[in-house]
Amino acid sequence: MKSFEYVAPESIQEAVGFLTGGRGESEVLAGGMDLITSMKQGLTEPKRLVSLKNIPSLKRIEVSQEEVTIGSMVSLKDLAAHPAVQRQFPSLVTAVKGIGSAQMRALGTVGGDLCQRPRCWFFRNGMGLFPIKDGVSLIEEGDNRYHAIFGNDGPALFVSPSSLGPALAALGAKVNIATGSSRGGIRTVSAGNFFKTPSSDQERETILGSNDLVESVSIPVSGLKNATYEVRHRSGLDWPYVTASVAFQAKGGRADGGSIVLGHVAPRPWPAIHASNLLNGSVIDDDLAEKCAEAAVRGARPLSRNGYKVHMVKAAVKRAVLAAAQS
Amino acid sequence: MIDAGVGGVQIADVSVDVETGVVSVNEMVAVQDIGLIINMKLAESQVYGALIMGITYSLFEESVYDPKTGQMLNADMEFYRLAGIKDVGKLKVHMMTGKGYDERGVIGLGEPPVISPGAAISNAVANAIGVRVPHLPLTPDRVIDALQKGGNIA
Repeated sequence: MKSFEYVAPESIQEAVGFLTGGRGESEVLAGGMDLITSMKQGLTEPKRLVSLKNIPSLKRIEVSQEEVTIGSMVSLKDLAAHPAVQRQFPSLVTAVKGIGSAQMRALGTVGGDLCQRPRCWFFRNGMGLFPIKDGVSLIEEGDNRYHAIFGNDGPALFVSPSSLGPALAALGAKVNIATGSSRGGIRTVSAGNFFKTPSSDQERETILGSNDLVESVSIPVSGLKNATYEVRHRSGLDWPYVTASVAFQAKGGRADGGSIVLGHVAPRPWPAIHASNLLNGSVIDDDLAEKCAEAAVRGARPLSRNGYKVHMVKAAVKRAVLAAAQS
Repeated sequence: MIDAGVGGVQIADVSVDVETGVVSVNEMVAVQDIGLIINMKLAESQVYGALIMGITYSLFEESVYDPKTGQMLNADMEFYRLAGIKDVGKLKVHMMTGKGYDERGVIGLGEPPVISPGAAISNAVANAIGVRVPHLPLTPDRVIDALQKGGNIA
């Protein structure tokens, strides 16, 4: 690891002011769960770390009639323990509880979960996000068991590692971004559009500019039934194979305004549009859950070794729909 | 000390989620004959360790190499998976002692009990789902693949 400058400003304005020199020159330090690992792996060699730990407003959880706003420095543990979150968003609580190790939940933050880099094992071994040798994609030709089955028609074949992303997107949440550009202030984007699929090593996996930082997320309180189901093998520290987050209104036994977003299947949280459409006006029952499961895998393009994920997505969607119905 | 005549039996009780391919061990029983046992606690704990190691290599443990570069892809504790406390289920060890065992003297207890778990767990999985998963570890992708090839699922 190279030596670096460390600053811990007390206001957002100061913090964005410190984010100079572009991505990789200065990095935002939240819980450090991914950043410190990435620095040890030599994936980023920042000259300056900007810690957000001294900015009190980033640690708030605000509850109003319309929405719950969660500061980006709120720990995953505190997020899942908050009564309003537990009452309104079981989907998020499940997503947090799936994150392996109490230590990660205690130190890891909401902003950090959204901004962490992919876990792709080619990337983590220093071969880049788009590893190519002799003109051949190492991912296409190699062991791609954990890679994307959706959104993989471009060069990006890794999967988004965010646990909260799919749940926030399904709940219609917004990400509030403090911007260091000349406009200043806060800009807001839907959680779904916060993520993007990069097409070169110079880009990252979110729309954040080099001197932007996640200020908070706001989740509308609209009485949505919601749930997340994660397909996991080990019960300790581990990543899920596939996740599904579901949210819909229930009116007289029928689903309305539904949204299903998949995790760990695409370079970004992946909206299952065909399946979501079924959650508009249909009677909520086992049959609907099965239909959603089948619709969710339409358009999947598995690589050589990850066809099993198609099967898992069906199970995750079915179980998430049924769990949401009972939430 | 000789190494002849060591013997044991292991039994595995597993659950298989056929929609996700996830195998979990509910319970394992190991019965072991090692002749005369000098230190019961130490001998038992060797077998417990063998069961845990056996469950780990049966369900999780695997070195993955990239065929083009030869680089190991999971040289870390993240994707080189090991069983944790919640993954091993209930373990029971029974050591054979008394007449017929003690008088044969000290035999030895090292690797023998770590050999059986792979077979016991594989057999239990085959018994549960009706098809063999022909590779260890029995990861969800391989279980789903075996179920699909066996025509058990679409």
